[in-house]
Amino acid sequence: MGRAARAALAPAVAALTMALAPALTQPPSPPVSVNSLGMRMVLVPAGRFGMGSPAGAPMRQEEEWPHQVTLTKPFRISATEVTQGQWRALMPGRVGSPAGDDLPVVSLGWMEAVEFCRKLSEREKSVYRLPTEAEWEYACRANAQDPAATAGLDAVAWYADDSDGMAHAVGTKKPNAWGLLDMLGNVAEWTADVYAAYPHEAEQTDPAGPASGTSRVVRGGSFRSFPPALRCAARTGTPESYQLAHLGFRVVQQE
Amino acid sequence: MTDQNQADRPEPPATSLATSRRGFLTAAAALSGPLLVSPRLAFGAEANSRLTVGLVGCGGRGTWIADLFQKHGGYQFVAAADYFQDRADAFGAKAQVSAERRYSGLQGYARLLQTDVDAVVIESPPFFHPRQAADAVDAGKHVYLAKPTAVDLPGCRTVEESARKATETKRAFLVDFQTRTDPFYREAVKRSQYGDIGRIVCGEAVYVCGPTWGDQAKWLTEKPNDPELRLRAWGLDRALSGDVITEQNIHALDVATWVLDAAPLSAVGTGGRGGRKAGSCWDHFSVVYAFPQEVTVSFSSKQLGDGADDISCKMYGTDGTFDSHYFGEVAIRGKLPYKGGKIPNLYTDGAIANIAAFHEAILRGDFTNPTVGPSVRSNLTTILGRTAAYRGSRVTWDEMMAANEALPADLSGLRS
Repeated sequence: MGRAARAALAPAVAALTMALAPALTQPPSPPVSVNSLGMRMVLVPAGRFGMGSPAGAPMRQEEEWPHQVTLTKPFRISATEVTQGQWRALMPGRVGSPAGDDLPVVSLGWMEAVEFCRKLSEREKSVYRLPTEAEWEYACRANAQDPAATAGLDAVAWYADDSDGMAHAVGTKKPNAWGLLDMLGNVAEWTADVYAAYPHEAEQTDPAGPASGTSRVVRGGSFRSFPPALRCAARTGTPESYQLAHLGFRVVQQE
Repeated sequence: MTDQNQADRPEPPATSLATSRRGFLTAAAALSGPLLVSPRLAFGAEANSRLTVGLVGCGGRGTWIADLFQKHGGYQFVAAADYFQDRADAFGAKAQVSAERRYSGLQGYARLLQTDVDAVVIESPPFFHPRQAADAVDAGKHVYLAKPTAVDLPGCRTVEESARKATETKRAFLVDFQTRTDPFYREAVKRSQYGDIGRIVCGEAVYVCGPTWGDQAKWLTEKPNDPELRLRAWGLDRALSGDVITEQNIHALDVATWVLDAAPLSAVGTGGRGGRKAGSCWDHFSVVYAFPQEVTVSFSSKQLGDGADDISCKMYGTDGTFDSHYFGEVAIRGKLPYKGGKIPNLYTDGAIANIAAFHEAILRGDFTNPTVGPSVRSNLTTILGRTAAYRGSRVTWDEMMAANEALPADLSGLRS
């Protein structure tokens, strides 16, 4: 199947996959709203979760210091990475290569992603922003067994072994328990937080990272990544100004 | 508000061995998850007590690393075993091990395992590692094992099985690779795995050094038929050491398999011993490995001459280069650079870190033993290259695994 055909079928495939997901292994899907750009925004409940990796977890990096995080407010997060079509509706100029409306937008710096959120907020009369690192990991985990553990990495992620070295149309792999797609793989994602070691506090509430710094946390791994990078706890940092062919973003809408 | 503690939930396991070589042999840890038990269960004595340890192999590296164990403060050597009584006695005297707990002969380690030591540190010639480690796990001991884990396929499988059993019986099993403890290596590998150097296309692994084994060549030259001298000169014996590519060069190849998170599909190789007269080991190897995703890694090594001393691994991607040197700098250069830094003394600092990690794992009750899988994978990678070089032809991973070829050592004339 060609890229265009696959892209055209992507929403239907995603919807069907979600509909057929075993009810016993997934909680009920949270409410979904759709904004004027066609972004499907999934409601994520407030909650408490284990962030990072416990000692002995496979492929754990030392910086993934395990701690408990409480997120006190619900939020909505886009079901997919921001696409080139959605980007072009608000922003002039480049969107990455190769081109395709359903491909994720890439090759943009962190400030450009923030500017997109500002314009989207104006358009929608609602606050849109990048997810915090904690929100991103919470959404990736989805209060469920990681889909990579149950369905296998090939089923949920475009990564080094199955991507043929390129990004793919968003939403063509299996969703996680909250219906979020491509949290792992396809393109890596900017988050709001400055990249630094986690504070060694066992309990944290609505963490948002250090106040200043020039590298931002990037999450999720990409079509280039190997399995160690394709874990909900895996993190790396990238300077704000870098525009990379494997790096895009998704957005959060404040409730 | 939901309240779900995921801190004790395992991360996604590595891809199945049946479908991919990535994450090879990590199944024990992946399937079991972090097997955390209470420190009291993990460590029968009081949590602030020192672990009692037996040293198996009291030669140069054994006595050197035992000193680091003692400096840690959490260990006390109470038993020692070496084939040679003089070595067991020399170490025993230095470490204040009582005379009746100094064992010798090929079965000396087995008598050590009958004591009540908590853990064993195995620093014997690599040929003996699998049996000694397996017996130690069977005896209920925690195991700290020098690299390489084994010299052949059956040995690697024995080590793998021993590690699984250690996990099941709540024992720590650590393989001592220094590079994997270093922050610069870890960060550069992590970034490369994340995609920072783009699509990895090819790489180089190099281990070049001079003659390594002191007077061993002289001993063998003077008395080539003395079985005990052959054992003392194990570094030049192909079966006792695994040959240069497995015994030493594994450090360079381990980094390659670490970055790629994969084992090779096949290898072609050659080599020889043009600069070496004593013993049976070769003095250089040249191997080209084919890894998944059409990644080619060329490997070369030599253990002769003068003027070159480096353990390096470079990986070339479409956007950058991963560049690591065991005795130098680790960095990423290219579109998304990582400055990294110069490593001060990895040989010692890596061992210190592993000694601390071993102690912490036992005290914490963390018996997932994550070092074993990657260590066996790189061990097998060296054996694949060695097999291809000995044959002078292409050998696939699957052929090697199916053949399950043993590398038997000549132990005739040695006392039990």
